[in-house]
Amino acid sequence: MSNLNPDTNREFDVIGKRIPKLDAAQKAMGRAEYIQDIKLPGMLFGKILYCKYAHASIVKIDTSKARALAGVHAVLTGQDVPKKMKMGFYKDNPPIKKGKVCSFRDEVAAVAAISPEIAKKALDLIEIEYEELPGIFDPEKAMEKDSPLVHEYHKSNVLKLPWKLHYGDVEKAEKESDFVVEEKFTTQWVTHCCLGTSGAIALFDSNDNLTIHTNTQIPSLAQKDFLESLKAMGLENKRVRVIKPIIGGGFGSKLDTYAYEHIAILLAYACRKPVKIMFDRVEEFKATSTRQPTVIYIKQGCDKNGKLTFRDMRMILDNGAYTSWGATTPSVMMMPITSLYRVDNVKYNAKCVYTNNTYSQAMRGYGNPQATFAIESTLDMLAQKAGIDRVEIRRLNRNQPGDVTPQGFKISSCGLSECIDEVEKELTIDGPKEKGIGTGIASLIHVGGGARIYKSDGCGAILKMDDYGKVDIFTGGTDMGQGLDNITAQIVAEELGLFVEDINVVHSDTDVCPWDVGAHASRSTFVAGNAALGAAKKVKETILEYGSKLLDADPKNLVLKDRTIFVLDDPEKSMPIDKLLRKAHFSPQGKMLMADFFYDPDNENMGKEFKGNMSVTYAFGAHGVKVKVDEETGKVKVLDYVAAHDVGRAINPLLLEGQVYGGVVMGLGYALTEEVVTKDGQNMNANFRDYKLFTAKDAIRIKAPVVETYDEYGPFGAKGIGEPGCVPTAPAIANAIYDAVGVRIFDLPITPEKVLAALKEKKSATTKI
Amino acid sequence: MKPFKYLSPTTVEKAISYYGEHSETAKFIAGGTDVIVKVKEGWMEPDYLISLKKIEEMGELHKNEATGELSIGALVTHATLEKSLMIQNEYPIIYDAVSNIGSLQVRNVGTIGGNLINAVPSADGAIPLIALDGVALLHGPSGERSAQVKDLFIAPYKTILKSGEILKKITIPTQAPNTGSAYIKFGRRAAMELPLIGIGVLLTLEDDMETCSKARICLGVAAPTPMRAFDAEKLLIGKKINKEILIEAGNIAADESKVRNSIRGKAWHRKEMIRVHVKRMGLKCLEIIKNNS
Repeated sequence: MSNLNPDTNREFDVIGKRIPKLDAAQKAMGRAEYIQDIKLPGMLFGKILYCKYAHASIVKIDTSKARALAGVHAVLTGQDVPKKMKMGFYKDNPPIKKGKVCSFRDEVAAVAAISPEIAKKALDLIEIEYEELPGIFDPEKAMEKDSPLVHEYHKSNVLKLPWKLHYGDVEKAEKESDFVVEEKFTTQWVTHCCLGTSGAIALFDSNDNLTIHTNTQIPSLAQKDFLESLKAMGLENKRVRVIKPIIGGGFGSKLDTYAYEHIAILLAYACRKPVKIMFDRVEEFKATSTRQPTVIYIKQGCDKNGKLTFRDMRMILDNGAYTSWGATTPSVMMMPITSLYRVDNVKYNAKCVYTNNTYSQAMRGYGNPQATFAIESTLDMLAQKAGIDRVEIRRLNRNQPGDVTPQGFKISSCGLSECIDEVEKELTIDGPKEKGIGTGIASLIHVGGGARIYKSDGCGAILKMDDYGKVDIFTGGTDMGQGLDNITAQIVAEELGLFVEDINVVHSDTDVCPWDVGAHASRSTFVAGNAALGAAKKVKETILEYGSKLLDADPKNLVLKDRTIFVLDDPEKSMPIDKLLRKAHFSPQGKMLMADFFYDPDNENMGKEFKGNMSVTYAFGAHGVKVKVDEETGKVKVLDYVAAHDVGRAINPLLLEGQVYGGVVMGLGYALTEEVVTKDGQNMNANFRDYKLFTAKDAIRIKAPVVETYDEYGPFGAKGIGEPGCVPTAPAIANAIYDAVGVRIFDLPITPEKVLAALKEKKSATTKI
Repeated sequence: MKPFKYLSPTTVEKAISYYGEHSETAKFIAGGTDVIVKVKEGWMEPDYLISLKKIEEMGELHKNEATGELSIGALVTHATLEKSLMIQNEYPIIYDAVSNIGSLQVRNVGTIGGNLINAVPSADGAIPLIALDGVALLHGPSGERSAQVKDLFIAPYKTILKSGEILKKITIPTQAPNTGSAYIKFGRRAAMELPLIGIGVLLTLEDDMETCSKARICLGVAAPTPMRAFDAEKLLIGKKINKEILIEAGNIAADESKVRNSIRGKAWHRKEMIRVHVKRMGLKCLEIIKNNS
């Protein structure tokens, strides 16, 4: 692959500038149009009925009273869903269930009516008789032979998924290790808490082509899912247009299609009218998917000098009743397991197990936070056992540029060493340590140059210029609040010598924008950025060609800057770019400037052995935290936080810091307060009172030093940074707590109860001795 | 949400007469931070909401400097109490409680009277008013009556108020010299939080500045209604107050409590928090008394 940016050291006008989000004012003033704001003529309102049991047979459904209610246009049950209409990559999830229900969030009926109130009333009139079945809620118990089956046809609760790898010789390495630590960790369900709740509006035209406005991070793959649904409905060779309005948060939650989207399609088709389904907050908590919970068994070893010898990990994943991307998170967990620090001998095995719980999805970090919690916690334990300083053991084993990891990841640029330095500098405590105060450190690796999970990791961009020097760029990339619009505009403006306000970024309409695999894997800056850059470079070439004629100069000697083209060694010879564009347009055989570019990074799909360079480049980071533990209450107060990341180059430091701050606060919630509490499969805290998301008052000041390594493949040297902020937060906190009061918590979230119980246990153990 | 008519009387009498006209189909509303949520969620479906906001006398916060009696209108908002220098200086236990309710937005509209009448076990506002021996003045169709704040609560969401009765104001009797008071909401986060346990302590010392002449130990979320730990209080009376005796009082208060396991917190931890915070709040009271003398 060619390097798109040889000129990493040049001075920039737009790149590296702290340009506020382009839609900030619009959002702050309440003018941004969310799905909640969109109304279409003749639109009906859909609502979904969820079941009342974790596991039950549906004996009888009577919808006659609901159908008879004035204002109701359609009532659907599982009987009305085509057999082949199933969601998720495992295709085990019909949008409305039939015969039996397997979790509390199971959809059993849906209604479309002229108002949300009537639709709600109609749901209340649907009579369903259930016969309750024994449920299974513990994945390890669900693996036992006589456990009830969630899906009888599947014959086993264990999913047939291939998550297994072994590189080197772990058994031998373990025998030869001087120090070994073995532990069990568990992580909880947490949820994305997008402030904008989910919703979709589906409508068909007279030729049965579908348009769907929906909150999605994957317009192109959602289009594919909806095409499959249409096919299942007998509508072959139809068109699907996916339009994403402005969305109030993604964080991975919108990486798969949900039942409500497919139900909106079914209802719209049944009624021949637009149908809107909007989630309220309770539905958002109960009927969208969580981060994948895990049970982790880990063994790590090192030699007497502290060099890592092996890492052996085994996980049980509670799959819930249906399968979405949560079940594929092991593919990303493999990354820290095989490649965070240098470790030659690695073994990993994960089992996804059906239960009658909620099912999980993608969430910022995609399995990495769970794996890193176990790895970085045990690394501290190993350092202690071996008598080596915890920072030294990290430095000793750090990844370095040019490394090829056991999984075949080619580490191009790597600033882990500098990140560790930054953390050490910030967190050093001078003088004697105050009681209850401690510090912790944890590092991370994450994909930073795309992630080839799907067959293509590509993104397209189409760029056109008008007579006034303005640009419209149609990108496959999705802005979901992270600021891809800014990044795209900055890249194009820099390349074409324009201002950011000259660039109009159009995204998330599949009729207009090219294909993209989706806003995931921290890939948008890198992949969509390179796509935009590629298109801009093509147009730039044409501008230079015209400029060369008009200014009578060698194109190599021409510069685009401040909306002007000029000759480098004779700046008096210049022309405004808009004038050049008009001259190109309004001349015989006139030409308007436009270009397209499809960028597919040179990364590799992992084969059967899970080997291959998944990402073109990798992001690294180290987090450090200082905490104070109240030894009488178990409460942990975060005093200082430093999150250093190797980002290649910061295209927009303001947005970059926003990503890091947001990621860290999300990570702190994961570490300390957040948890979807369930009781026999039922969500017990579906509200912001009892789901303890950090509030503005809980948020702490975070230092976010940026390490710039100028990755040769990134646009202007940049790597992705969307997810890393929340990856090593939990182990950094757990390590700091241990440093503060000598107790280690293995189970997230680290609540005051757990800390106090551990302190009491430690105290009674000491008294006994 | 079921539609309702919104009435805004300007006198207590008018409010009560509106209620007389519509009786069970009407609900009184003050700040609305609880009532509106209930109406929106469909847990409450009144045809009429009778707002008390325009009744001026119910919004007054006043201390009678001659008698030392404090009068808090039921419509006084948490924010008004929080910002009052008089409350901050003379009634720190009230400040501690109201300044951590909900968020700034909630405190700007939520009222102390509403906090009491909503009658949840976790009401932060109830604990300091009980500790201060507050008296509630009630006004209903058959006239006025008064009750100790500690006696207002019957069960969660249930008070002694009769149909059509309004809580008009709370009066706090004169505080003895050498009195200190403090409250802590123990929760998981810093805002938008219900207490896992709420602990309020008030101590009055004799002139020797050591011997306890009055003690109040009040607990929220420790029982179905806000409660006083009478045995723990009794222990302190006539004794010299120090850390050791406060620890003992904390242990007794924890035993007196009827804490439960819930999704929010475990009973054993709540008990521990009572132990720890009775001691800490007691010490804080001593600190306040020392600083004021």
